[in-house]
Amino acid sequence: MSVEALIEAAGLEAGYDGLPAVAEVSFTLAAGERLALLGPNGGGKTTILRAVLGELRPLAGTLRVAASCGSVPQTERSRLDYPVSALEVAMMGALSRLPWWRRPGRVDRDAARAALARVGLESLADETFGELSGGQRQRVLIARALVQDARVLLMDEPFTGLDHAAADRLEALIAVLAEEGHGIVIATHDLEQARRWDSVLCVNQRQIAVGPPEQTLDRPVLEATYGGAIVEIPGTGGRAILPPHHHHH
Amino acid sequence: MQRGLVEVLILAVPAGLLGTWIVLRGLAFFAHAVGTAAFPGLVLADGLGFAAPLGAFGAALLFTGGNAALGRGRDRERDSVVALVLVGCLAGGVILASDVFGSGANVETLLFGSLLLVDGGDIALAAVAAAATIFATALAGRRWLAHGFDPGFISSPRQAALLDAALLGLIALTSVAALSVVGALLVSALFVVPAATARLLTRRMRSWQAASVALVAAEGTVGLWLSAKTDAPPGATIACVAGAAFAAVALGQAIARLPRPALVATGTLVALALLVGGCGQPGSGDDGKLAVVATTTQIGDWVREVGGGAVAVDQVLQPNTDPHEYEPRPSDVEAAAGATLVFASGDDLDGWIEQIVSDGGSDATIVDLGAAVPERLPGESSGAEASRYDPHWWHDPRNAEAAVREIGRRLASADPSHRREFERNVSSYLSRLRKLDAGIASCVGSVPAGRRKLVTDHDAFGYFADRYGIDVVGAVIPSQTTQAEPSAKDLSELVGLIEREKVEAVFPESSLSAKVAEAIANQTGAAASYTLYGDTLGPAGSSGATYLGMEAANADSLVRGFTGGRHGCRLRP
Repeated sequence: MSVEALIEAAGLEAGYDGLPAVAEVSFTLAAGERLALLGPNGGGKTTILRAVLGELRPLAGTLRVAASCGSVPQTERSRLDYPVSALEVAMMGALSRLPWWRRPGRVDRDAARAALARVGLESLADETFGELSGGQRQRVLIARALVQDARVLLMDEPFTGLDHAAADRLEALIAVLAEEGHGIVIATHDLEQARRWDSVLCVNQRQIAVGPPEQTLDRPVLEATYGGAIVEIPGTGGRAILPPHHHHH
Repeated sequence: MQRGLVEVLILAVPAGLLGTWIVLRGLAFFAHAVGTAAFPGLVLADGLGFAAPLGAFGAALLFTGGNAALGRGRDRERDSVVALVLVGCLAGGVILASDVFGSGANVETLLFGSLLLVDGGDIALAAVAAAATIFATALAGRRWLAHGFDPGFISSPRQAALLDAALLGLIALTSVAALSVVGALLVSALFVVPAATARLLTRRMRSWQAASVALVAAEGTVGLWLSAKTDAPPGATIACVAGAAFAAVALGQAIARLPRPALVATGTLVALALLVGGCGQPGSGDDGKLAVVATTTQIGDWVREVGGGAVAVDQVLQPNTDPHEYEPRPSDVEAAAGATLVFASGDDLDGWIEQIVSDGGSDATIVDLGAAVPERLPGESSGAEASRYDPHWWHDPRNAEAAVREIGRRLASADPSHRREFERNVSSYLSRLRKLDAGIASCVGSVPAGRRKLVTDHDAFGYFADRYGIDVVGAVIPSQTTQAEPSAKDLSELVGLIEREKVEAVFPESSLSAKVAEAIANQTGAAASYTLYGDTLGPAGSSGATYLGMEAANADSLVRGFTGGRHGCRLRP
């Protein structure tokens, strides 16, 4: 496999107001790779995503981002009461490619329509964003990242609040995008889902482990990542993480 | 009035456009505060003598910068930061006003603007704000939207800060432009309420912006028209119209969700129409009398006495309104427009009358009665309120006599057919005035000179004291304006003075709050129950409803205060 590294972090430390929220992070994201970012609330998942986006400067270590990144935030964060259509949200992606004095034009509108078609939402282009379902909103935000020409998609708990059908649909879309060569980082709480992807990065204020899921997700790593919040599922031998009580945005 | 309409229509553009961002980003409190925060800038501009909008904009920018620096990237904490910086600005302004420049000057009037007093500079400023807002919206509108929609989207912190700063700066600029129109307290009426109303009716940014601009323009126009009809202050009327429009739209939407919405809606509309229709007032006709405007209550009284049935008097100030902080009404502009003569008190007490006359396109002659009176006392020697003469000249009856003579002369030359009547009225009034003057002199003279010591709310009684040999020991507000706030040091000095001089009574002025005078009286044991009429006559039916009644009542109060209530003056005005 010819590996093109999109992101390389070595000994990365990042945080707020000079205080590290997460440290000792070293990983590589290759083109076509789906990386699950696992960790408890407050463990540093969002901090890593913000550092990759350039919002936070590394406090120590190095972080090389060799491709454009598009963020797919949690929908709660995006304002649901905004008077914008799905198409307009997708078109926002063009702003990060255009110089500051340029306004998006017809080319960008066409690109936004095409991106909505790729995520299967062309028929809802003129709907108000806030009135779409949770899964549809996630896909609109992915379309926005595509309009950005982002090679890397940074998704912050995209499955939160989705029903089974919507989650399956989103996961299939993620698989297609990875096949096309996008690198995808997905912060998630779902261990079983993470096992189906290419690699996992476990953090809890510092990096616990990184690597392919089958070799990485053993009991000591999970305990170090989640503390005591894992329970055996009786009779199956499987493990589950106790769901967090609330999300911290 | 026409200039006011032009101003409101121009302002509708930036107010409507920015209003949508203010509502979307939760900046309503900031938008409200930034106008008020301009206060220290206005004080500085007034004290140092540069253009008020420049001072206001400077202070507003400083306020904006303070907010941006303290509230960086924390939308949720913004309101507390705004409150923090606002308190700093207001406190700084108050200290500047009362301790550095020695008086509040006319700063408060700048915080309460008026559409009736709009000048070319105000319109230019509004046009600048409109142009800047259109330009910035075209250039940055989509980025503002993307940034507000998803604060993480613009990942460069510098670019994000720049976008926010541009938005807050424009809001500051437009607020300053709106100050002269509706005043700091009602800026939200232009910015927030119409945009919030339009939001209920639109689903997309572009239609929302268009609807907001149209709504500000419509509410401004309707408010102005309504204020002309009902003679209410235009700023407050526009605010009421905006509030009513929001309520009506919100109500309409609630009704639409009820069963049988059409029926309920019709009923509501009919009720609203009746309500609005009932508010209309028929205008009064003009029946060929000489039309005269008088600025103050005492001048109004004299003109009515001299003019009798031949003159129609419009009196601008009403009883118990402070001439130092007055907002004109549409009827004042209208009356000035139709008037032949305008009698003013002069000495900056009613300086606004010149603008009212010029704004109404009137060619009325302004007669400055203050310039026609013989007895003049010096005004404040320093500070922003410095003026050559003490403006309260009417409290010396000899000045009143000169003013009444001047009124008679001017009325006679404007309407020679009634010259006889005017002359008769002047001489009969003057004989009553002289009798009262002599009566006051003998009544006050019966109090031993050492006990005629006057402490009152503000230095309004210099002429009265000078005429009748009363010693002005001090004033609660240490200046001839009512707008300065006494400092703790001023008050404790005054208390010491009252105790040293054995002052028997402190006299609150009837049109001002008596609280400060009462507090001093409590500390010193002096009485504070005798009130004086200072700047205006009392309302109809009170002892000070006419000029002669006011002076007689003042003399009675003073003598009662001096003698511990044992004697008074029983004078028949």
